[in-house]
Amino acid sequence: MSEKLRESLSALMDDEANELELERLLSRIGADENLRQSWVRYNMARGPVAGSGQALPLADISRRVSDALQDLPADGSEQSKVPAAGLRQRLLRPVASFAVAASVAAAVIVSGQQLAQLGVPDAYDRDNAVAASASPVGMINSLGATPVQASYGTQSVPVLQPATRTAYEQLARQRMGRYIQVHAEHAALNSPQGLIPFARVDEIQK
Amino acid sequence: MVTPIRLSVFVYPLLGALLLALSAAVNAVDSCAKADAVAVSWLDKMSHSVRRHSYHGVVTLQRGDDMQVIQVSHLVKRGASSERLIQLTGQGAGVSRKAHPLECVHPGHQLLRVSEELQAGRCGLAEQYQFRVDGAERIAGRPAVKITVEPRDMYRYGYRLALDRETGLLLKTETFAQGGKVLEKFQYANLSYGDSVPGTTEVDIVHEAAHPHPAHGNDVRRVMRPWRVSWLPRGFTLTDASDGESGRQSFTDGLAVFSVFLENFDREIRAGEGVVREGGTLSYTRGMRLGDQPVLVTVIGEVPINTARMVADSLSWME
Repeated sequence: MSEKLRESLSALMDDEANELELERLLSRIGADENLRQSWVRYNMARGPVAGSGQALPLADISRRVSDALQDLPADGSEQSKVPAAGLRQRLLRPVASFAVAASVAAAVIVSGQQLAQLGVPDAYDRDNAVAASASPVGMINSLGATPVQASYGTQSVPVLQPATRTAYEQLARQRMGRYIQVHAEHAALNSPQGLIPFARVDEIQK
Repeated sequence: MVTPIRLSVFVYPLLGALLLALSAAVNAVDSCAKADAVAVSWLDKMSHSVRRHSYHGVVTLQRGDDMQVIQVSHLVKRGASSERLIQLTGQGAGVSRKAHPLECVHPGHQLLRVSEELQAGRCGLAEQYQFRVDGAERIAGRPAVKITVEPRDMYRYGYRLALDRETGLLLKTETFAQGGKVLEKFQYANLSYGDSVPGTTEVDIVHEAAHPHPAHGNDVRRVMRPWRVSWLPRGFTLTDASDGESGRQSFTDGLAVFSVFLENFDREIRAGEGVVREGGTLSYTRGMRLGDQPVLVTVIGEVPINTARMVADSLSWME
């Protein structure tokens, strides 16, 4: 775990993390075992779970997180204008450190099912999509390319709420972990480096 | 009186389109013919080197500030190759592939045999990339030839390769994005040729590499309906057969590989997309509806994000 992350984690625990740090933590926690363990340690050292000597029950956290996510405004409501702060306050306020714990755990356990629970109108649904909820298919600047067509053009790319965006980033990270080995099997047979693509797999499974 | 004008309205664009199409065709042949013969012969040598030589060595993988070190051995014996990879950093697991017949050539490796493809009248890799020999350097103590591989479109990355001058073995691969930013780098730190593979580090987890056969897919996870990818960047082809109901399809152009994963959901999901990158590898996840079915599409591979997004966009159920 990098020093920066450790600092962010500690700032978060002291309720002094800014949005950038929160975002950074959320984006890293799924992939970083050390960070996860530090977070559990920090939590056991203070607040309601201090001295319990047990890791937090994941199922319980999972429920709390999905509750927290469901409480998020689905669209255009007042809170979404200051969305990052709104999310943070919501997650921080109820029972200080436990809620923080839950918000960080969201990164670990967020799943498609939890996205399902968010259940809101589908911005990709062409019949129902309203102009306000979707940006036009356009040009983007991306790694590896000059500004290019950002989309095949059949579906518009929605503007995402921060909570959804974070959830999707986590989902992308999780799926990377889940599928990278299967992908490496094919890369190893169809690109010139032999088995070397397996070096990209963080955790090789039997 | 009006007719000639009307006609021109239709004819000129048509003529223009025809000319465009013609010039595109000429360009394709041109770019094919212009493929740097020296670079192409080096790539050929590279594609055959792993079938001719036994070797072992240590390879580093650099991605940003992160560096992984792996041990590699490759043994060619009695018409088959055996390979082994062990991570010396990180998890410390291994991967092994035993008795892979030398005549077993997967789609990506076939595409790498550029001159064979050219002789067969196919432009192949030369249509997607421009190759040029770019001087010399020394890698792992071996004199090496540098080859720069530039993509001809924005749907793939470029590569700077270094090949062993004597054997053609690929000693270094640098993957770069448009603008030259290096995304990841594989490089041999040391290398020895010969059959005597030194005792390898003992590891607890050794994964036997799968052998997805080009003729039949082998995925366990199924989706409810056959699906297909309707758009692919030029030159990409399936790495193995797909009956359409497998949850995965993988594609290669010979140098880049990406895999598409599809998951059904029985409930609505909030539409959106998420991206993470590790070195040259991208994971792009998109929640959307396919017809009336909520699905999650994930594209994982060594391609730029717009490629992944456009591929995900083009998914459809087969009729």
